[in-house]
Amino acid sequence: MKSDKKRIGVFVCHCGINIAGTVNIPEVVKRLKEQADVIEVIDHQYCCSDPGQNLIKETIKEKKLDSVVVACCSPTLHEPTFRKTVSSVGINPYNCEIANIREQCSWVTDDKEKATDKATKIIKTIIKKVEHDEPLTPITIPVTRKALVIGAGVAGIQTALDIATAGYPVILLDKNPSIGGHMSQLSETFPTLDCSQCILTPKMVEAKQHPNITLMTYSEIESISGYLGNFKVKVRQKAKYVDWDKCTGCDVCVDKCPKKTPDEFNHGLTQRKAIYKMFPQAVPNRVVIDAPNCLYLEKGACRLCEKHCPFGAIKFDDQDQITELEVGALVMATGYELLDKQMLGSYGFGKLKNVVDGLQFERILSASGPFMGEVKRPSDGKIPEKVVFVQCAGSRDPENAMAYCSKICCMYTAKQAILYKHRVHHGEPIIFYIDVRTGGKGFEEFYKRATDEGVLYIRGKVSKIFEKGDKVIVWGADTLTGKKIEVEADLVVLSTAMKPAATKEFAQLLKLTQDEYGWFTEAHPKLRPVETLAGGFFLAGACQGPKDIPEAVAQSSGAASKVIGLFTSDTLEHLPVIAGVNEDMCSGCGICIDVCPYKARELVTTEDGKKRTVKVIEVLCEGCGACSAACPVGAAQQKNFKDQQIQDMVKGGLE
Amino acid sequence: MKQIAYYPGCTLYTKSKNLDLCARETAQILGVELKELETWNCCGAIYSTVQDDLANQVAPIRNLIEAQKISNKLVTLCAACYNVLKRSNHNLFLPENDIYRRRMMNFLDTEYDGKTETVHYLEVLKNDIGFENLKTKVKTNLDGLKVASYYGCLMLRPSDELNFDDPDNPTMMDDMFAALGAEPVEFPFKGECCGGYVLVDKPDVATRCSQTILESIVDAGADCVATTCPLCQYNIDNQQKLMSKQFNLPVFYFTQLLGLALNVDQKILNLDNHYIDPKPLLKQKGLLK
Repeated sequence: MKSDKKRIGVFVCHCGINIAGTVNIPEVVKRLKEQADVIEVIDHQYCCSDPGQNLIKETIKEKKLDSVVVACCSPTLHEPTFRKTVSSVGINPYNCEIANIREQCSWVTDDKEKATDKATKIIKTIIKKVEHDEPLTPITIPVTRKALVIGAGVAGIQTALDIATAGYPVILLDKNPSIGGHMSQLSETFPTLDCSQCILTPKMVEAKQHPNITLMTYSEIESISGYLGNFKVKVRQKAKYVDWDKCTGCDVCVDKCPKKTPDEFNHGLTQRKAIYKMFPQAVPNRVVIDAPNCLYLEKGACRLCEKHCPFGAIKFDDQDQITELEVGALVMATGYELLDKQMLGSYGFGKLKNVVDGLQFERILSASGPFMGEVKRPSDGKIPEKVVFVQCAGSRDPENAMAYCSKICCMYTAKQAILYKHRVHHGEPIIFYIDVRTGGKGFEEFYKRATDEGVLYIRGKVSKIFEKGDKVIVWGADTLTGKKIEVEADLVVLSTAMKPAATKEFAQLLKLTQDEYGWFTEAHPKLRPVETLAGGFFLAGACQGPKDIPEAVAQSSGAASKVIGLFTSDTLEHLPVIAGVNEDMCSGCGICIDVCPYKARELVTTEDGKKRTVKVIEVLCEGCGACSAACPVGAAQQKNFKDQQIQDMVKGGLE
Repeated sequence: MKQIAYYPGCTLYTKSKNLDLCARETAQILGVELKELETWNCCGAIYSTVQDDLANQVAPIRNLIEAQKISNKLVTLCAACYNVLKRSNHNLFLPENDIYRRRMMNFLDTEYDGKTETVHYLEVLKNDIGFENLKTKVKTNLDGLKVASYYGCLMLRPSDELNFDDPDNPTMMDDMFAALGAEPVEFPFKGECCGGYVLVDKPDVATRCSQTILESIVDAGADCVATTCPLCQYNIDNQQKLMSKQFNLPVFYFTQLLGLALNVDQKILNLDNHYIDPKPLLKQKGLLK
């Protein structure tokens, strides 16, 4: 007998009748005692109960066990329980393994005989595994307790405020010159009709004033490296051509600038200057020069802004600046965009002036919008007498655009129709819908309010929209009466689908996964909705899927709490069941690097400089085993899942 | 001269000779011979093109097989022929149709690998000849002629199978007219249905369809319409006599205007075969003596 032979104890759980109802447990115990090379086999009614755990502890002490197999439910449930139990009496937790005889055996058959055979085999397999298990220790890694929030809409702002209030420094980054995101463009919010800017701007100001928040606007991510707790992020701050320390946001330059270009904030409904402030309440309240439109920067003549600036803040020689940040966690709050109207051919390709999208109509309704809150139409500034709203324009339409429901449109269309009716009392709002989805607090009541206030709902899809004279003709079907409908409207509002603002390239830069439409993928759709599979990356708001404001804010606070949880200690523990490399066998072919989904492997030269080999970045490795399967020479070995162990397990199962 | 297999179809041999002859003649001028299949039969247009009933599609497949003797491309002009020939080939090679395909090949006693690509003459003009090249061949510039290109439904849909042009905003015919010097006119019903076969049992419905199209063409300020399809031509030209409004708008086949620009003989242009006489318009524009 070898001196290092393991002293293994097996504990077989009845799980009430969950296991014992199908598996003949006394028979399993008997067979194991006869056939397996173990010290003790004991069964118990509920191993996970206190008496069950005490039995395990007492047996370990009494029989001087060094390894334990618990045959019970799935390891996703009680593996942590039993590992804690054994470690309380001095056994390394990684020398305790679970044999799943419930989900993988008793629950999937009624045949008692076969179940008993299978349970025995499963347990024998795990006994073989335990024989070669090594004691493992969790890996400790340091944490930089500072977060980077990408995107400063309401989701990003909320996340930053929550993290900052908990006492950790946050960098809040946005690609635009001002924070605020789409919410700053909205008129009033459903279902309470409170003014969007009135509830958002206090948060924007708070974010600016918070001592733990650093704003980095007009900035984009250049590159990122590192891992959970220890990221290095390069940020490009775009040239503003204005010294923001000197600028006071007085707008004298804006008045003098002669160059006009479509205003993004008003979605092209108005013009802005080449030197501009996004909107009056912009935070920071500063101007920037949009270089491609600036007469001086493009053509070398003008400099009117420089001449008139009372503070000498114009800086034509400004350059992009690269800043390197060290952060421990990143929160994606990149939000959404609307589907481009050009995608919707039968709705006029975005060429018809009086066919606007939801955000454009928000600007039309907004007191700071192109018509100061008066409802007018873009082509001629006339007050529209009849407005058709088309829901699901590009949503729930897998043939032409997006298959998903954009979720917010039913409510914001109802809101826009109500607001239109409030401003144009004799106006006729007509909404074409497939379904009206009102799943939210106060939403159904709000929909009822819309119908009560004279909004006409027609159930059916719109097939075609085209211009005829100064009218917009809408062809549709009323599927409740089966009639074809033609409406001569003055203005059409398309509730165009939401789509993710983050591009594929951006996701690749961060190595984050997206679904087929580009929404960031959460770690688990139900139980881990604000985390991603990449450690240290969290999701807030609509970058993960269509969301309204309260949901986006709630998710942002969720993401913030995850970041705060991560920052509570200055070190982190990482599971040790990961891959290793046998340097003597590794040929440095790099196949495992390509298959690793976590980018946890890299090619290095050995210390003596003689050969190329692969190194595992332990904190990134999640122990999936892809490298072990791919390695042609067997140099990549998973800890406690070594090839030898797996072969023994197969033998154990076939005995 | 480059030879491409050509399938005229029944209507081009009878009512729509001008569509056919102008195409052959203009192709000749542009350096391509449209070589008619030695034998051909009905394209199958009056049967359904459902994907799981290939028995109705033996006729088009026979034509595709025959084309292999000449080229891998088969040119056609009639929108219905184009639709049926192209889709039958698509249907034949759907994986779920393996058994039917083998059965059909046994019946036809031949083998066919699906290589015949059905192309429309417009596609030949665009891709083989090129609109830029076409521009240099123009003898009579169609300057000042405002043309509404009406594509109809069969050329464009189902778009993922035909892949001809954007079904909501087709431009191929407009681009050709621009190359000929004419002024393409935008209107919202380029791909709308003309009423098609409904004309036979519900003439009022068909007339309403074609009247809507004509109204928007007139609103858009066009002088005339150009079409690729004999049925569309009939519905929006001949049926003007049944409409509640008189448009007096000439409706050409696109090949006639192409022929006019390339100085094709008037006999071939056959401008007499129209309900609305197009000659006064062409004379007024100085395009016809």
